Amino acid sequence: MKTIIALLIKQCKDSLRNLPSLMILIIYPAVAFVMIMAMKGEEGMDNVFVPMFAAMHCSFAPLVISSNILSEEKEKGTLRSLIMAGVSRVKVLISLSVFVLVSVLLTGSAFLLMKEFTVQTAASFAAAMLTGAAVSTLIGLCIGIYSKNVTAANGLAVPVGLVFALLPMLGQFNEGIAKIAKYTYSGQFREVFEGGEFTLNTTLVPAAYFVALSILLLVLFRRKGME
Amino acid sequence: MGDIPENSIISLYNVTRSFGDREVLKGISFEVSRGEIFGLLGPSGAGKTTLINILTGQLSCGGNAEIFGTGCGSIGSGLYRRIGAVLDNCGLYERLSCLDNLRLHARIHAVPFSRIEEALQKVGLAESGNKKVKALSKGMKQRLALARAILHEPKLIFMDEPTSGLDPSTALEIHDLMKELQSKGTTIFLTTHNMDEAYRMCDRIALLSEGEIVELGNPAEICRQHCSSSILNIVTTDGEQMEIDNSPAHAEAVAQLMREGRLKAIHSSEPDLGTVFLKLTGKELDK
Repeated sequence: MKTIIALLIKQCKDSLRNLPSLMILIIYPAVAFVMIMAMKGEEGMDNVFVPMFAAMHCSFAPLVISSNILSEEKEKGTLRSLIMAGVSRVKVLISLSVFVLVSVLLTGSAFLLMKEFTVQTAASFAAAMLTGAAVSTLIGLCIGIYSKNVTAANGLAVPVGLVFALLPMLGQFNEGIAKIAKYTYSGQFREVFEGGEFTLNTTLVPAAYFVALSILLLVLFRRKGME
Repeated sequence: MGDIPENSIISLYNVTRSFGDREVLKGISFEVSRGEIFGLLGPSGAGKTTLINILTGQLSCGGNAEIFGTGCGSIGSGLYRRIGAVLDNCGLYERLSCLDNLRLHARIHAVPFSRIEEALQKVGLAESGNKKVKALSKGMKQRLALARAILHEPKLIFMDEPTSGLDPSTALEIHDLMKELQSKGTTIFLTTHNMDEAYRMCDRIALLSEGEIVELGNPAEICRQHCSSSILNIVTTDGEQMEIDNSPAHAEAVAQLMREGRLKAIHSSEPDLGTVFLKLTGKELDK
């Protein structure tokens, strides 16, 4: 446990000095806030922008940040120095995931201040945000393990992140895209972010992603060993 | 080949490693004893870093590789706590300060923070604790990596080209620290292609070429063993340089110079490690 805490402290300090990572963490809540403020006269804009940007936040930010951190650790040799200090690779992945989930949840909680929520819808919102971030983090870790360096990781993470972030929004304007978007975890959670309840679909689709990505992560971890 | 030392910390027997069809290590065998500075010399691509990766459990291998009597394939966190490493890539967090980098490892090793100041002092970075790593020079980064490696007082330190690209005075400081660590019983496994460094620092060396050890032993002894000519180079007080055959027939000539007080310098003609390597492999060591 002390190792994971040590890694979390390091990660917090490092991320606070990493402006691009900070920007990714706050950009969607900030843009949602600006949009709502800019269209204050229009009624119901919070119901449009909060679900839209919350879905983007929980899919894009954890995916890009986790892949970035992991690939940077590999590229700079810091991962190797941790392993040489007796830190297991699993602990590195756990601490990284905890950091990403907590920071996404904390920054994502800003959405709760932009729209009216009941206790129940707020709890559903937080659960969807956490689960969506967990699935995105798994994708990010897979990309981080697969990629040799930060450039390669970003080259994969940004387009993949954008697909999951933008599909639910584009689905609002195009029926064809909507049909595809409903098979994405971010598309399913968008409905929860709109104030809806967890349904069979909003549970099963993300669960399927979670299981499939966990298996993929395990396979990549065994084959590539994070080197 | 040199004698196998007692009390061995590192033990390799017939270690092999291939990458695809390319055989990088071909049956490497040697042991390193407690408190020894052991040097692995070879040109780039000889297999030095591969061997370090095997010894630190980062790569699997054929044959038998052990440190502290444990197979390198099953090194656990407990054993890693007895190892320090200064690797070619420093592995430092560039956005963090020197202190924060060392605090991370102090927390991991459960070492009191008071040791951090000591470690920084030893490597001459006491004044730079709050500096961000990215603001340090290459030599300072290397010294910080050394401070990190000695923070938890390991029994064995791996050093992969620790003075590569450093200025002579920084390299000298690192050499002094290595000797200090050795005097406290720390075993040092050094890889280098710097023959002077190996000659001065190492108790024993192994010359590695294309995955094979071509010579193993004390560097001075190796040089003497491979001394094929017995020429004495003499410089007299009036600047004259002479080459005299080192034989009884010329003893009187040398003695005469000494009696006359004309002998300024006299050198035997053993080859250096680079020459030995060239003789054994046909290749230059520092390439």
